[in-house]
Order: sequence, then C-alpha cells, then structure tokens
Amino acid sequence: MPVLEVQGLRKAFGPVVAVDGISFAVERGEVFTVIGPNGAGKTTTLEMIEGILPPDEGTIVIDGLSWDRDADKIKSRIGVQPQTGAMFDLLTVQENLELFASFYPKSEDLKKVLEMINLQDHRHKRVKSLSGGQRQRLAIGLAMINDPDIIFLDEPTTGLDPQARRNIWDIVLSLKAMGKTTILTTHYMEEAEKLSDRVCIVDQGRVVTLDTPAALIGKLTKERQVQLSFLDGEGAARETQEALENMPAVARMERDGASLTLWSAQPEEALYHLFGFTRERGYRIDQVTIRELSLEDVFIAYTGKEWRD
Amino acid sequence: MSKGKQFAKLFEAHFKTMFREKQVWFWNIFFPIILMAIFMLIFSGNDGDEFKVKVAVVQPVKNEMTDAMLEGLRQIPVFEWKSAEPVSAGQADEWIKNEDTDGVIYLPEEGSAPIRLVVNTENERNATSQALRSIMDQFVMRANLTAAGVQEPAYRLEFASVSSGSEELSYNDFLLTGMIALALAQGGMFGMVDLVEMRRKGLLKRLRMTPVRMGLVGLSGMVVRFLLGIFQIICLTAIGVFGFGAHLNVDIPSLIVVFIAGSLTFNALGYLFSSLSKSIEAYMGMANIVSFLMMFISGVFFPVNALPEWLQGVTGYIPLTYFVEGLRDSMVYGTGIFTPELWLSIGVMAIWGALAYAIAAALYRRVRIEVR
Repeated sequence: MPVLEVQGLRKAFGPVVAVDGISFAVERGEVFTVIGPNGAGKTTTLEMIEGILPPDEGTIVIDGLSWDRDADKIKSRIGVQPQTGAMFDLLTVQENLELFASFYPKSEDLKKVLEMINLQDHRHKRVKSLSGGQRQRLAIGLAMINDPDIIFLDEPTTGLDPQARRNIWDIVLSLKAMGKTTILTTHYMEEAEKLSDRVCIVDQGRVVTLDTPAALIGKLTKERQVQLSFLDGEGAARETQEALENMPAVARMERDGASLTLWSAQPEEALYHLFGFTRERGYRIDQVTIRELSLEDVFIAYTGKEWRD
Repeated sequence: MSKGKQFAKLFEAHFKTMFREKQVWFWNIFFPIILMAIFMLIFSGNDGDEFKVKVAVVQPVKNEMTDAMLEGLRQIPVFEWKSAEPVSAGQADEWIKNEDTDGVIYLPEEGSAPIRLVVNTENERNATSQALRSIMDQFVMRANLTAAGVQEPAYRLEFASVSSGSEELSYNDFLLTGMIALALAQGGMFGMVDLVEMRRKGLLKRLRMTPVRMGLVGLSGMVVRFLLGIFQIICLTAIGVFGFGAHLNVDIPSLIVVFIAGSLTFNALGYLFSSLSKSIEAYMGMANIVSFLMMFISGVFFPVNALPEWLQGVTGYIPLTYFVEGLRDSMVYGTGIFTPELWLSIGVMAIWGALAYAIAAALYRRVRIEVR
C-alpha cells in the first residue's frame, strides 16, 4: 500500500489554475522528487498535501488517513521543511528543536537529530548567527524531530554552495537508510538524479511524466553526443569528418575548427571506425567526451523549456 | 505531549525572544523612562517654588507721596528687588533692554502724573508681565482707595487650587500615570510586530503544520507581554516616586482590572495593524501614526481641557484617553473597583478592543485562504 496517494488534485487562485488534476502514489521508503519550472504548481501541490491549503478537488490519503478526519494524526506522522527557513531566530538550535519537539506526542532523540544534521558544535548558537547551510540543516532537523514517517523537503539546497549542498544530500541519504519516505522538490537536476528513486515532472499544474531517473532517460532517443578535439589542427578534423561522412552509425556531424562533434545511436561503433582512421593517419586526439543524457534532457524534451539553475 | 508542557515551552520561547531583542528593551523600558524624565525636568521645575517677579523702581522726585508709594511697593511679597534702592532712569532702561528685570516701576514726578510700568516689548504679552500688570493695578487701586479715605476694602479674593485627590495632584503624579499608560499602550501596539515577522518568514505557517494549537501560541505570547507590562509599571513607578517625588494612592484591584483591560485593548489594536500589514515597515508606520496622534490628545502629558474644544470632542472617543484616566483613577486617586467612572473607562476600552480583534481575526481568516 502506498504511504501517500493523491488523486485528481486541483487548486485555482481566482482565474489562475495552479494545480490541474495531479495524481501520484508514493511507496514507503522512497525518495520521491517533484521537479518542474517555476510556477508549475510544485509548492501548491506540496502545501495541499501538507494540509496548509485545502484543495478545490481531489483526495489526499496519507498512511490511510485523510485531512478532514485525522488532521492531528497526520501532523504527527509528517515532517515539513518549508522553503523559507521558518524558525525562531533569537532562539538557539537546541531551543528550537526542543520547542518543536514539545508540540508532538512522540519525538526523536535530540542528540541523534543534532548528530544527523551535524550541528552538535553549534547547538547553543542562535539561529540568527548560523550560515545558510546550517540554517537549512536545522530546518531539516525540525522536520524530523517528531520521528515522522514522511518528510517533505521543499528545495532544501536552493542558494547553498556545493559543499553545503552535498551535506544536505548526505542527510537525505541517511533518512532513506532509516527507512523514511522523503518527498523532495529541487531546482538541481543533478540532485534529483542522484537522490531520487522516482522523479515526477510537473508542468502547468499537471504531471508530465513519472518514473525512475534511469527509465526517464532511457525513454529518450538513444542518440549520444560525442565530442573530439584534434591536436593536429583543422585539417585533421576536416579529413576525419569527410572519412566518416557515409558511415551508417553516424547520424550527423558538426565541425568547429579543430573540434568535431558527432551524434550517434551506436557510439562504440562510430568511435571504432573513427579511431581506426586517425591511427592510420597518425592524428593525435586531445580530448574525447561522450555526453550522457541527463534528466535535464528529459525535462527539456517533456516541457519544451530550458532548465535554469 | 501535554498542553501544559507545550505552553511552558512556548512561553519560554516567547520570553527569550522578547528579552533577547534589544529593541524591546529600548522602546519599552528606556525610551518611556527617558521621555518621562525629560518632561518632569522641564515642567515641574517650579513645583513648590513661589512665584517671583524681579523689579526695580525709579524715583525721579523724592517727596512724602513717592516715599509712601515706595514703602507700599516694598510690602508686596512677590517682588524681588533688583536693587534695594531706587535707581536712575538710564540704569533702569538698560536693565529692561537686557531683561535683567521683569519690569521697572516709574514713580510719578508730580502729584497728578501716572505711575508708569515699563517692560521689555518682547515680554509684553507673557504671563509674568500680565501678572505684574495686575499686581500694579491692584496696588494703584488700593492707593486710590486709601487716598479717598477707605481704610480696608469690603471684599477680597483669595485664590487656591483644589484637586479631587486625597492629596494635591502634582504634575509629576499626573505625568507618571500618563507615561505608564502610554508605555503600556505602545507596548501593545508595537509588540505585535513579531506576528508580522513570523508571518513573513513563514513561521506561522510552519507552526500550523504541527499539532500545536495556534490559540496556545497566541496565549503564551500574550502572557509574556503582560509580564513586560508589569515590569514597565514597576520601573516607571519606581523612578517617578523615588526620582521625582511623585506620590501615589494605589487601589490594587482597580489597577489590575484597568491594566488587563488596557493591555488587551492595545494588543488587539496591534493585532489589527498586523493583519493589515504585509511588511514590518508598513506595520511600524501604522503603529507610529496611531500612537503619535493619540499621545498628544489623550491627556498623557497635559490635561485634556487644555486642548481646543473641537479636539476635546475627538479625545472622548480615543481608547488611550480612557486608559490614562483609568490608570490615574486607580494609581493616584485610589478609586475603588466599584466606581462607575472606572467601568466607563473599561467599557470604552473593551469596545475598542473587541472591534479591533474581530476585524483582525476576519482579515487573518481571509488572507489565510487567499495567499499561498
């Protein structure tokens, strides 16, 4: 049985339809990521699931419970890290955690939480004086203080430097190891690809596609992009291009000076012939890159929109 | 977790947040104290001192009549003599120009000439000159009566002031109670800025995601603000009484009731401002305008009847007027809790408080649905 199931969710703000019939189910222990362009309805969807915003239509079932009847029970089973760092700025890390712990019937061990979010050394610091990454980790700590089954992380890494971002990833992975279900939204494709079991792409208030990152990428065309640059200059690149012209494994080519780009559905085959030719001529190749297709390509393919970090 | 434990934790959070904010200390404690001290130093300087007018006299002709007049002038108790003996006209003019004296009296040169009183033109219309003039009027009239053979006039006026307190109400008592009311009112009106900040940061929303009751969050904040209010009363009273010799006659039950009614009313006004503002700037602007307008027409610094009549009409509708009155009744006049005037004040405040609260609550409900 899924731990969370939403069915036909709809929400309009005046004439603007923010969410237009979203449905999905999340299995226990999954990291489930919702991505989409700005204004796609991600936050609205999450807020409806979190019980802050009543949906116009549709049903939300969390662990077999619904908001109309079991609001308090649901609140005790979910943990939420909202987009803005909503906490008491003049209280210390520990005071914030203790305060939020007092709201719930059961709570996670404070030491364990501090350790997981790696703020043991800063436990007596006021939130005001924490760095962005530390604040974000505390927000996640507050989301897990009630030992919830489901944790919602709304863009936990937005605006953080790469190291701070990696720290958050570690926390998400350890939550998964603890068997928690995590529902994540993010701006970073790399993050979605790395952390998620399944990805749900949302655009204009609808689910565009939903699958594992690998399956989503697999659904795209098999063509790969291969890039080479020649140490022996433009002539070598041009000759190689001409030699590969009628090769069935090569779909098309583009040359820019001494660098050559080709697209191929069978890159091994194409490269085998290419290297055969260059070896025969004695041309040296400086760099070879085969670009993997990423979720970004999936995103662009499905929404027709550029992804912006 | 029990409601008691939750309340204790929330109380602790609000308490620490409030007392760790330096602005709270400044605006709620130091600012009212400074303001009160300044007003008391300015306006109560003459308290207890006698009224004195500094004069000099010019006696151009020395004869029996002018000697008698000089003797008579010397009997007037409020006169302080610049020079014990009559001076020359030139010297007297010099003193007037330099404002070394409040006025100079020129005795007549011959029998029918007038007694002249000369003051500096700058001071022509001020209270001291007016008083000096009426003293001299009296003096001349007495002299005429004596000349006409009347020994003692049949009627005399004696002036004294009476206040309704058991003791005389001094300006310091008046100002102290006004300042306490103002400080408490501002504490309430400005104190809700937290709420704007909590909403802006999404903290209110975050709390709604937990099982805690929002009523409990509000209540704990309220109790902390009550404590701050009690602390304000104690500080201001101590400084007023020990530093400036204010005397109070406190009726504790009345004071408690007025304090609670006033605090609730002004907190409700603050709550209303918070429901109307999306940013701290908007909130502070609103609270500043309202408190600034109210403080000068509600009898905080000076009595309401010193205001122009049309403004006194407005005063009668303002909650601060009634809070000031209620506090004065309960702290200076020792008015008992069963006095109708006290309940009139409480009633007017209650109407304001209830209206402000109702409007704010309605606005909050609407906003919660509309804004994501």
